Amino acid sequence: MIEAYLRKLRARDSVSAGEEEAIRSLFSEERDVPSDKTVIRAGERLNISLLLVEGLLCRYKDLRDGSRQISELHVPGDFADLHGFTLKRLDHSVMTLTRCRIAVAPHDRIQAVTTEHPHLARLFWLTTNIDAAIHREWVLSLGRRSAISRMAHLFCELRERLAVVGLADESGFALALTQTDLAECMGLTAVHVNRTLRELRERGLVEFRSRRVTILDLAGLRRIAEFDPGYLNLEPEPR
Amino acid sequence: MPLYLFDLVNGNGLTADTEGRDLPDDAAARDEALKDIRSILSEEVLRGHLDLDGRIEVRDRARALLFTVAFADAVLIERQSA
Repeated sequence: MIEAYLRKLRARDSVSAGEEEAIRSLFSEERDVPSDKTVIRAGERLNISLLLVEGLLCRYKDLRDGSRQISELHVPGDFADLHGFTLKRLDHSVMTLTRCRIAVAPHDRIQAVTTEHPHLARLFWLTTNIDAAIHREWVLSLGRRSAISRMAHLFCELRERLAVVGLADESGFALALTQTDLAECMGLTAVHVNRTLRELRERGLVEFRSRRVTILDLAGLRRIAEFDPGYLNLEPEPR
Repeated sequence: MPLYLFDLVNGNGLTADTEGRDLPDDAAARDEALKDIRSILSEEVLRGHLDLDGRIEVRDRARALLFTVAFADAVLIERQSA
């Protein structure tokens, strides 16, 4: 159930058999959640954290008029609100964008495992640091990249993150998002997203159709996005 | 809620909506079309170019045309100097 999470950690550092056992002991249950459900509401007191096993989750904040900004997408193997363990209340909500399978880690178990395994505590810290790096890259996109390079960057990032857990290759990946979901990631609107997707397709870079991203020219896509995967910290080394 | 389709027609030709959005009524669909147009125009302005000749054709599930929102109707243009 948590193989994707182990792959994600092992892309960055070694995890011993004993540590793997400790990680497995974190989770009390798995839940199936339908699409479009808020699973963590901003401000509520938390005593669990959620690991995404299957599907897509997002972190979001919204305004009174209903406009929503997604600040990060979560792919399988992401410990979506591990930061809730130290924060106790989140300043943002977490919702399902597709049907999801989620593993639940009670905070008392995270407390016990991090006390007994300081190296795992450092790996958990690393993954929340990588989430922060993803947020910074999204700030750059939202503030400075054009719509086309913003969209290209999101596709490059998702391809890297999904490849780590075996869900993408050079040719592309499944992505069960709507144009409205993409608009909420990129500060655009659905029609603006549709027009931008058309431009990417006509330039022969990438195609998004029938819930699949097909990469036509990865080098060209990276060029237009100014994509450098360094912020995803994909090199294994002792932490 | 009914499904509305938003086809974009501008200098690049037709960009057809293949997904649509569920919205309460025509008024809500018009508001969405206005936001779509303003988003597209705002990016054009950042590039120093503004083409107000486009439109969004709002259609029902069967692709029948319900109404059209012109780009020019999405912004109030003021210009007093000579």
